[in-house]
Amino acid sequence: MEKNKNFILGIYDDEDILLSAIKKVRQSGVKIQEVYSPFPVHGIDEALGYKRTRLPIAAFMFGMLGCTLALTMQIWMSGADWPMIIGGKDFVSLPPFVPVTFELTVLLSALGMVATFMIVSDLKPYKKPRLMDIRITDDKHVMAIDLANNELEKEDIKKIVKETSAEEINDKNF
Amino acid sequence: MSDKRKQYWKGVEQLTNDPAFVKNAESEFPEFLPISDNPEGGSSRRDFLKMMGFGIAAASLAACEAPIKKAIPYVNKPIDVDPGIPNYYASTYVQGGDYSSIVVRTREGRPIKIDGNALSPLTKGCSNAQVEAAVLSLYDNERLRNPKKSGQDISWVDLDREVTSKLNKIASAGREIRIVSNTVLSPSTQKVLEVFQDRYPTTKHVVYDTASVEGMRLANERSFGQKILPTYDFSKADVIVGFGADFLGTWIAPIQYANQYTQTRKITDTKKGMSRHYQFEGNLSLTGANADYRTPVKPSDEAKAVVALYQALDGKKSDIPHVNKAASDLKKAAGKSLVVSGSNDPNLQVVVNAINNKLGNYGNTIDLTTPVNYRQGNEKEYNEFLTEVKSGKIGAVIFFNCNPVYNTQSGADLAKALETVSLTVSTSDRPDETTKFVEYVAPDNHFLESWGDANPAQGHYSLSQPTITNIFDTRQAQASFMAWAGVIQFDYFEYLKSEWESTLAGIGLIWDQALHDGVFAIPENLEAPIFNADVNAAISSINTAYKGSDLELSIYQKVGIGDGTQSNNPWLQEMPDPITKATWDNYVTVSQAWANQKGITFIEGKSNMVNLTVNGIALKAPVVIQPGQAPGSIGLSVGYGRTSAGKVADGRGVNAYPLISKINGMESYAVISGVSVEVLEETYQVAQTQTQQTYMGRETVIQETILSEYQKNPGAGRYHPHISTWQEESGDTHPGALTLWKGHKYKNHHWGLAIDLNTCIGCSACHVACQAENNIPVVGREEVINRRDMHWLRIDRYYSSAPDDELDDDQKDMMDSRKLELVAANPEVTFQPMMCQHCNNAPCETVCPVAATTHSSEGLNQMTYNRCVGTRYCANNCPYKVRRFNWFKYHDNSKFENVNIAMNSDLGKMVLNPDVTVRSRGVMEKCSMCVQRIQDGKLKAKKANRPLKDGDIEVACASSCPTEGMVFGDMNDPNSKISKLLKINDTEEADYIVTKEIGEPRAYHVLEEIGVKPNVTYLTKIRNKDKA
Amino acid sequence: MAIPLDEVVVKEEKQNLEYVSVIREPLVTGGKTVHDVTEDICRQVEGKPTLSWMLAMAMSLGTLGIGAYCVFMLLWEGIGVWGLNKTVGWAWDITNFVWWVGIGHAGTLISAILLLFRQKWRMSINRAAEAMTIFAVICAAMFPGLHMGRIWMAFWVLPLPNTFGSLWVNFNSPLLWDVFAISTYFTVSLVFWYIGLIPDFASIRDRAKNKISQAVYGALSFGWDGAAKTWMRYESVALILAGLATPLVLSVHTIVSFDFATSVIPGWHTTIFPPYFVAGAIFSGFAMVLTLMIITRKTFKLEDYITIGHIELMNIVIIITGSIVGIAYITEFFIAWYSGVEAEQYAFLNRMTGPYWWAYWTMMTCNVISPQLFWFRKIRTNIAATFILSIVVNIGMWFERFVIIVTSLHRDYLPSSWAMFYPTIYDVGVYVFTFGLFGTAFLLFTKFFPVINMAEVKSIIKTSSRKAS
Repeated sequence: MEKNKNFILGIYDDEDILLSAIKKVRQSGVKIQEVYSPFPVHGIDEALGYKRTRLPIAAFMFGMLGCTLALTMQIWMSGADWPMIIGGKDFVSLPPFVPVTFELTVLLSALGMVATFMIVSDLKPYKKPRLMDIRITDDKHVMAIDLANNELEKEDIKKIVKETSAEEINDKNF
Repeated sequence: MSDKRKQYWKGVEQLTNDPAFVKNAESEFPEFLPISDNPEGGSSRRDFLKMMGFGIAAASLAACEAPIKKAIPYVNKPIDVDPGIPNYYASTYVQGGDYSSIVVRTREGRPIKIDGNALSPLTKGCSNAQVEAAVLSLYDNERLRNPKKSGQDISWVDLDREVTSKLNKIASAGREIRIVSNTVLSPSTQKVLEVFQDRYPTTKHVVYDTASVEGMRLANERSFGQKILPTYDFSKADVIVGFGADFLGTWIAPIQYANQYTQTRKITDTKKGMSRHYQFEGNLSLTGANADYRTPVKPSDEAKAVVALYQALDGKKSDIPHVNKAASDLKKAAGKSLVVSGSNDPNLQVVVNAINNKLGNYGNTIDLTTPVNYRQGNEKEYNEFLTEVKSGKIGAVIFFNCNPVYNTQSGADLAKALETVSLTVSTSDRPDETTKFVEYVAPDNHFLESWGDANPAQGHYSLSQPTITNIFDTRQAQASFMAWAGVIQFDYFEYLKSEWESTLAGIGLIWDQALHDGVFAIPENLEAPIFNADVNAAISSINTAYKGSDLELSIYQKVGIGDGTQSNNPWLQEMPDPITKATWDNYVTVSQAWANQKGITFIEGKSNMVNLTVNGIALKAPVVIQPGQAPGSIGLSVGYGRTSAGKVADGRGVNAYPLISKINGMESYAVISGVSVEVLEETYQVAQTQTQQTYMGRETVIQETILSEYQKNPGAGRYHPHISTWQEESGDTHPGALTLWKGHKYKNHHWGLAIDLNTCIGCSACHVACQAENNIPVVGREEVINRRDMHWLRIDRYYSSAPDDELDDDQKDMMDSRKLELVAANPEVTFQPMMCQHCNNAPCETVCPVAATTHSSEGLNQMTYNRCVGTRYCANNCPYKVRRFNWFKYHDNSKFENVNIAMNSDLGKMVLNPDVTVRSRGVMEKCSMCVQRIQDGKLKAKKANRPLKDGDIEVACASSCPTEGMVFGDMNDPNSKISKLLKINDTEEADYIVTKEIGEPRAYHVLEEIGVKPNVTYLTKIRNKDKA
Repeated sequence: MAIPLDEVVVKEEKQNLEYVSVIREPLVTGGKTVHDVTEDICRQVEGKPTLSWMLAMAMSLGTLGIGAYCVFMLLWEGIGVWGLNKTVGWAWDITNFVWWVGIGHAGTLISAILLLFRQKWRMSINRAAEAMTIFAVICAAMFPGLHMGRIWMAFWVLPLPNTFGSLWVNFNSPLLWDVFAISTYFTVSLVFWYIGLIPDFASIRDRAKNKISQAVYGALSFGWDGAAKTWMRYESVALILAGLATPLVLSVHTIVSFDFATSVIPGWHTTIFPPYFVAGAIFSGFAMVLTLMIITRKTFKLEDYITIGHIELMNIVIIITGSIVGIAYITEFFIAWYSGVEAEQYAFLNRMTGPYWWAYWTMMTCNVISPQLFWFRKIRTNIAATFILSIVVNIGMWFERFVIIVTSLHRDYLPSSWAMFYPTIYDVGVYVFTFGLFGTAFLLFTKFFPVINMAEVKSIIKTSSRKAS
């Protein structure tokens, strides 16, 4: 990211205070860059006005793909490429194909979706995280406000944040 | 300069500008390249690609191949040996007095399979387990590789010189010389021995048999004035009564008798009757197992039963079960009946003769005009010889292919006495108990390496020819005798040929024809004598002789091991005894009653050892509780307890020969006094391939009926499972017919096998034939105990369950399913050959994850060994449990070299059938329905450019069956034997339905209700009894 | 630089925001704060290995060694070193396979299904339960491999083109279905588990003192920064994975049961196998979770997170599934009798009264009778009793598979082929091997991974860590 980015961090240790704080801050027209928490806080996405994720659609798509792959593979292998008489059954008989089809559907759906998730939220091994505060992964919630995105003065923003009874208010520069 | 350049011609053609040359002058290869398909010759790009493709393919294929060891190409190819093409030679199997005319199949000059010779009027193409297995003994590592002098190697020259000089010394000293042998069927050999006798006048030829029937010959002398064995014809008999004669298994000429016997048992639409067979015996023999009425009697009562039957014919009632019934049946079938006894007591046999005479069987079922030569032993002469040896009168003894130290009652004495004899020679081709005590061993060829002939019966001649050159430095025994008689450079073949031509050419012998056929028969009959014998004297002596005691012993021969000559043959050792299903051992068979009273149990083959003492000789042997064993009698087989036969046989079981007793001065396998048994604490497990005795009343497995029922309704005894479905509530739906699948039609062939349970006598010839044909490993006693025998074809032997009146009180309270496990005291026996059923809806195929077992387009369930990963799922899911898994590496594995000799030495491996893979460790295997033979037959037909005929292809088991109880063929061919037998009509027009409609009412599929649709069909067993 | 906050305001806020449940037992006791959670869970990851851990590790490694020897002999000599024979082609191998797979069910089941049902009590046990699943499935997967006659050809069960031409696998074979089912189940469980671990790895990363653990946990935590957007996606991923895993769990043992249900062998050929096997799997799975949980909470002093409440709830699941299994046994018998099929009837009579009656009755006592003790609250809230019974149940479930496999095979259609099966030391040894493997893996997990899902527990601290006094 570009150099000397300045953030104002409001630090909270209670998710409910955090939620009300987010509301207050946004009402007073301050754009919140992002909020960081040690555990999922319910309702935070509405508070921040995030759109619902489209991961379920990805999952469904990958599932369909797996299903099709499985069926074509089985039908082609046992019906077209090398048909063999096995137990007097038809070369292509769907009942025996159900289990494999099901498993491959689930497999591709799961793997595909998780891969998508990793990519969109840029999670990968050896990635250096950009931590606003070391305590995020312990017990503190952090509201990060990017000064560049707000026309309000730094001190005004700090004031607004303070009214939301944040435990601490810090500056963070990258 | 350039114009001055030298011209080099490509040849004179260039100089003369030969047009043909000029045309190709520029191309790289002026000659036409053979690998080109472009008409102008030369090589196109496509040729190049083809060649390159081939090159790469060849290279990569070569990379896959394991390197072939010791493959030596022919420098000059022998005329009649084509690699990959088998040659067949007619020959003769002679073992002691046992005889069978055979056809030997050789590949690249190696005999690999013995089959019966269909051209023989005596054995009619039949064989038995021992004959089938004989080929393996050719490749036995234990065979002597060169002549020996007191254990040390010696050259033939030296041996001949020393033996001859000693013989001369002895002869000139006027001391006795003896040639000891079993029955010699070969006329030419007799001649050779005569030559020897002329050279050394003090020579005498002493003949003994391991199982003497001289008593019969003496009886015939007393009855007819001729000391002969008659020809029996069971096929003409409507009523057969046997007294302890195991004529289907081991008695005199079982191969012929079995074939004749089953002709009377076979039932067809045209022949709806069958013979009735009574058997009175102590042990449950193979013959007794096939009898309609079997009476267990201890040996002494067996004799009384003979007398009782004789008297019953005159109306005197007897209290021995079935005697009166037998008598009345015999009377009804006078002239069309046959009574035989296995006893060696002349008196008994005289009475038997009297019975047969009274019934007018002579000239009908018994033919005195063409006597057989199978047993010529002379006990009197042999006993004299024994006393002479002991007294030191004998100067020289030559043991001609016999082993009396082991297989005579007095072997031990003989061994001791031999030390005093100055010259002792044996011609045995392998070390045995006798060669241990002789000075010189002049090893004979194996019969598959030898010329020879046989005169099994009056007017019947038989030739044997070498099928392989001598493997070791051995010499035909006849040549040895001639050499010692001073005839050097003797060629037995020439001698034999001239003998035959001098004697038989006059009466229509064509040598080449005879050699090709292997047999030559001319009608030369003696005149029929008249019966005249003092029966009452015989009877009275019987009454005095057979006092009987509370425990009597019947010694017997096993169907597999016989008299023990071939006991170093692992195929026979591991062949389950048809009755006890035990392998690798002999054992004392006792009755359940006796066991109960001694408190012995017999579970999974485990039981106590016993000390068996007979007239002072004690043996320690394991026990087998044998249903049908006569109360007060026990059984023990000979042929075991070898001490120097080789690593396979040595130390297995106990030697029963010393127990042989005498009755009326004749050798007797029945010991009627002085028998005592003491139960020991020590336990022992007999290795059985089948431990559950009854078929649990499961009609879907065994379907049987009685003759009268069958005559009323040919479908009698058939079991028809039926259910009702949601479409069809009437309850007539055949569960096996319900299916989800359309199935697959077999367009060309549809192989099938039909097995007639009524003619299967359980002789196990098919069992060994299968083992020989398909390279089936032998696993040894321990692995059989672990229930891991590898046999592709097994013969299930089932006893009938105990009827309620035989149960004691606490057994009566048992659950029904438990009651069914109890065996009847005198059970009915059923034999069921069981191999892969080649199901059209094979459960094994469905479950294999890697498709290693699939169905062929000809109805075969085929096993792809190199695709198999060995999950054993197929074996678990096989309802017939016919699949066999390679638990270990059985070939080239030191753990198995002592039992699986056919796969653990270069010599042993010569017996392997090159058409069949030797399976590796960890793969599944099973009956392939001899697919190699099927392919071979198809190829032959294709080469001859004709459609396949029925009979072109014969599977190993069917071809070995002495009773023609197995029929193999193409069920798509309406004219094939099997289609006719099963009355198959292929109703379905649709091109996918496989189901064949089987018209024969007796035909059934085992477990047909589970709907696997087998291609192996069984015909119901029918017993000729009054009531089931 | 921090700005001091106005006390009053904060206090008011706090008092208003107290959640106190008056009815429900707290899921986390001891009045823990969010920070305490981090402390408690990370303790054993950061601290030196305890003596008891060392001892346990030594034991499992020993077991692993002994087992490894038996495995080597098996591969060197051939399947013949086992006690199998021509009639009984499967015994301990597949028994162990099904047993381990069954155990491998609880983890994913607890996380997935309980997550779908929003059962908060799952949160402190699902991590370890999932770990157990993963390791159990690994152990299970050993056997289909090891039981092959030619394991070096095992890759042929995958649909790969090969040197023998394009010979493919047989899609009719239940064993092939297993290949797909087990591998899918393993992969998805692994992913599910790992996703759950990422935020906790992050916590450990940010507390890490030394370079190595910083590097390792840094790599493992995938650069997690706890952003609200990621958390949002994260939750929906967890939810969908749960939705996928739930039918998967049920499918795996269904398909395993097909190995038997689709065959023709009396005693195997039974249509109720799928539900009955699944119930049995959950049954044994929960029992195993209990066994491990009770040990873990003792050794790592996690009594406040894994409470009697958890144990009681799991015991209730055990009563239910145990009773289902019991009903299944009875149904089998009824159907065998009602079918009128001779072989079928004999197969089941033989189970009860045949040579393997002892195996059958062990199964009955352990699986059907013993769990009924949990009807008594005293017993199902008693740690010791629960521990013992959980082991008893697993013994019973092993025998269930043994009974199904061996007693059905050893006496099927043709009496001529009836035989007995006697195990050898190698049968036992290879089983022991998987115990060593499991133990080692689980101990490594407890030492280096957070055994409780911190993030999830933290999210419920406020709502359910305190009760009205």
